[in-house]
Amino acid sequence: MKSLELFDEQLLYECYQCARCTGSCPAAIVVEGFNPRNMLLTCSRLGMEAAVSDAKLWCCTTCHVCEDRCPQMIAVADLLMKMMNEAARRGYIPDKVRTATEMILRTGRLLHVSKRICDVRRKLGLPDLPDVPVEEVEGILEETGLSELMG
Amino acid sequence: MGRERTADERSARKPVRLPEAPRIGVYVCHCGLNIDGSLDCEEVARYAAGLEGVVLARDSMYTCSDSGQDGIQNDIREHGLNRVVVASCTPRLHEPTFRAACVEGGLNPYLFEMANIREHCSWVHLHDRKQATEKAKDLVKMAVARARLLEPQVETEVPILRSALVVGGGVAGIQAALDLGDAGYKVYLVEKGASIGGRMAQIDKTFPTMDCSICILAPKMSEVGRHPNIELMTLSEVEEVDGYIGNFRVKVRKKPRYVKDACTYCGDCVTDCPQHVPNEFDCGLSTRRAIYSPFAQAVPATYLIDMDTCVNRHGMIACNRCYTACGQKCIDFSQREETLSLEVGTIIVCTGSDVYDPTPLTELGYQRFPNVITSLEFERLINAGGPTGGNLIRPSDKRVPKTVAFLQCIGSRSKRSNPYCSNICCMNTIKDALLIREHWPETQIYVFYMDIRAFGKGFEDLLQRARREGVIFIRGIPGEILQNDATGNLKVIGENTLLSKLYQYEVDLAVLSVGIEPSKESAVVKRLLALPSMADGFFMEAHPKLRPVDTPTGGIFLAGCAEGPKDIKDSVTQASAAASRANILMSRGKVTVEAITAQIDPEACTGCGLCARVCPYGAILVDKESRKASVVEAACAGCGTCSPECAFGAVTMRHYTDEQILAQIDALAEEGAARKILAFCCNWCSYAGADFSGVSRIQYPPEIRIVRTMCSGRVDPRFVEHALFRGIAAVLVSGCHIGDCHYINANHQTEKRVQKLWKRMAKLGVQRERLRLAWISAAEGVKFAKEVEALRQVVSRISDEEIRKGIEAFSPRKGEPA
Repeated sequence: MKSLELFDEQLLYECYQCARCTGSCPAAIVVEGFNPRNMLLTCSRLGMEAAVSDAKLWCCTTCHVCEDRCPQMIAVADLLMKMMNEAARRGYIPDKVRTATEMILRTGRLLHVSKRICDVRRKLGLPDLPDVPVEEVEGILEETGLSELMG
Repeated sequence: MGRERTADERSARKPVRLPEAPRIGVYVCHCGLNIDGSLDCEEVARYAAGLEGVVLARDSMYTCSDSGQDGIQNDIREHGLNRVVVASCTPRLHEPTFRAACVEGGLNPYLFEMANIREHCSWVHLHDRKQATEKAKDLVKMAVARARLLEPQVETEVPILRSALVVGGGVAGIQAALDLGDAGYKVYLVEKGASIGGRMAQIDKTFPTMDCSICILAPKMSEVGRHPNIELMTLSEVEEVDGYIGNFRVKVRKKPRYVKDACTYCGDCVTDCPQHVPNEFDCGLSTRRAIYSPFAQAVPATYLIDMDTCVNRHGMIACNRCYTACGQKCIDFSQREETLSLEVGTIIVCTGSDVYDPTPLTELGYQRFPNVITSLEFERLINAGGPTGGNLIRPSDKRVPKTVAFLQCIGSRSKRSNPYCSNICCMNTIKDALLIREHWPETQIYVFYMDIRAFGKGFEDLLQRARREGVIFIRGIPGEILQNDATGNLKVIGENTLLSKLYQYEVDLAVLSVGIEPSKESAVVKRLLALPSMADGFFMEAHPKLRPVDTPTGGIFLAGCAEGPKDIKDSVTQASAAASRANILMSRGKVTVEAITAQIDPEACTGCGLCARVCPYGAILVDKESRKASVVEAACAGCGTCSPECAFGAVTMRHYTDEQILAQIDALAEEGAARKILAFCCNWCSYAGADFSGVSRIQYPPEIRIVRTMCSGRVDPRFVEHALFRGIAAVLVSGCHIGDCHYINANHQTEKRVQKLWKRMAKLGVQRERLRLAWISAAEGVKFAKEVEALRQVVSRISDEEIRKGIEAFSPRKGEPA
């Protein structure tokens, strides 16, 4: 899978483990055990493999608050994004993520557009959802290497 | 001046200047493995032995050791050496050592030259032994070329005035002033505020002994006030400084107090004053009137009127209530600002610190939530002399807090604020926590930290005591603080990293343990005294280990937080050290200054006055009648900016002559010039910056060869042209940042000259990028390395054709010296 160079690993050495990231993280409050600080530590001490095999990684909402508050200006959310890419490359894709991705591959949308949704929209006076150029989406996913990754 | 030396000067300009041929001794130092570890010292010594004028060349383990120095002295006597070259560390470190050794051996100290093969070679080319050895050979060859042309110089002795200026009246300034005053010197203590005392007067107790801060400081303050040798100037600022070691002329602007010295400090005037403003001393937690005393123990113990607040600020007497209330009739609205001129021998800079303002860290809610306060505000709240009389109450509802959180490292150890550790915050918090427990034992205290640094004497004991007494230390700085708007209570959210568990504590009061910054005034003092500072704004010492209270400028010393964050004990220690250093100079009463001054040949001088125009010190006088310029030697600081200005070659810089510098360039250009970079570095900033690259072991390309000048203003455009004529690929001209020049503003001339050179190069079709101008401070080792890297890029692109073009363009025309 092709991805941009998102995170400079040298930055890992600058982490003081002050835990402002975890203390600021909305996902950490909801998901027991999701811990950006710990992921930084795992990454630098135990290596990428140990860090990416943990499915909790995918709980990051990429809200970037951690980054905003990090005293060392470490791009924590970018690191997590990179780790998710790395996890996918190594085959650690949680089922829910896999389902969602397949949904996009198939329909071009993340959610299934049911008849009920269409009815509700009509009732609210909202326009019909446009057709998704599925082939184009497929092309993009092909280009990025995602479809290949999903097998 | 100058007349009687004319004959000497004229003879000095003749090409053959030595009664005897040069007999040079070269010593290549291994410096243990510091040099020999990355280049072949023996080979360098063998190479040096074959150079013109060299009669012996040796390599030795530690040339700076006693035996190394003895060896030099013996060789001078036995082999009749008349020049000595040592290839070792930076001359900024050991030049004085080796000069002294030469003197012992019977040689004039100015017949010594150093090649810097450690900071500028072995340490920056750790992994390329061959290239490093080649470069070291070049550096030695250049040093030998210069040594052949060195001349003996006589240093002048300068008297040192037995008086000192202390800038800043915090605890460091107080201690320095008292030490010097007690030693019998006249001391001028200049303080910007209305009272001396500084930060120490604001805080409640001191760690680790828990002494009452003002109780131990106040006696010292009053001692300053009544000391016969100390002239205290409050509400005063240094406005202008000129002169040099031992003879500084200082202008001080003194604002009026509007209250005469006869004030008995009764306070009757205050109650009647109609104007209220926030009290700065209490961090704005209380108010004061327009006529006020900063705090009870203030020295001088007289009231003053803050004219920016007073009703009469527009010059009309609209209110005279204080005047009427004063029984002694001390109020005097007619007082005016005055400028005082002082003459001092030494200066001690104690400009102190400010605290970090945590407002930009919005997640902590400082300024938004009333119960989030800084540690300095806390000191005022718990201080018996503070706005609450020592009753710790929280700002929102004046209730005694039951739970208090301390947040460490706010504004310290962070790229978002200050990257350094502020040194005092950990112990300050522990002290504060214990103080709360002492008065209100039921209070629950949480300290959120990432590392607790309890490194000093008695510090660890205090930390353990706090833990024993139930202060809870939690590792993990909170991510954010939220406020319950109904109660004013705060919710502190974060992660306990030792448990890997999230926490949420509800606290009544949160104290942000804020870091220390250099005071805002230090930037002004830095400019006035032309002192170097680190990237973080703290003043730089002459040497971080061995000259920790000296500045690079002779006669100026540092003490207290001006030099770096430190606690009271360290500030006092440093102040006494600085006073002692100043005392050494003043008790000796005289100092020899380096014989690096300009001389003007009256025969060649046409009296055009261009040199006088660029002299930052006004040290050149042009006699209108005789149409000749002459140098006032005591005022000449030796930057050499005048020399390039003279179209007639009438100005000679002693010890940095045109011939010596051109010889270095020629030596460098002899082999493989088309791949080499010539760098001119000024002694004070960029050369020191290059040294700092070395000390930090920052690796950069080995093509560069440095020629040291005292100032970038010495760099004659003719040197650059000569380098291009000799086929050198690229030239770097570097100096102090504009505004930081050690010689006031001499680097402005550098900039103008480089601009002109670029134009000339463009006109002659020579690539402009072959000449680079860079401002590099003594702290910018990384920047120096980047500049070298950039020039290497230029060199890698350069064609033989381009080199040839430079040679042709700048080949000397008829009548011009090569």
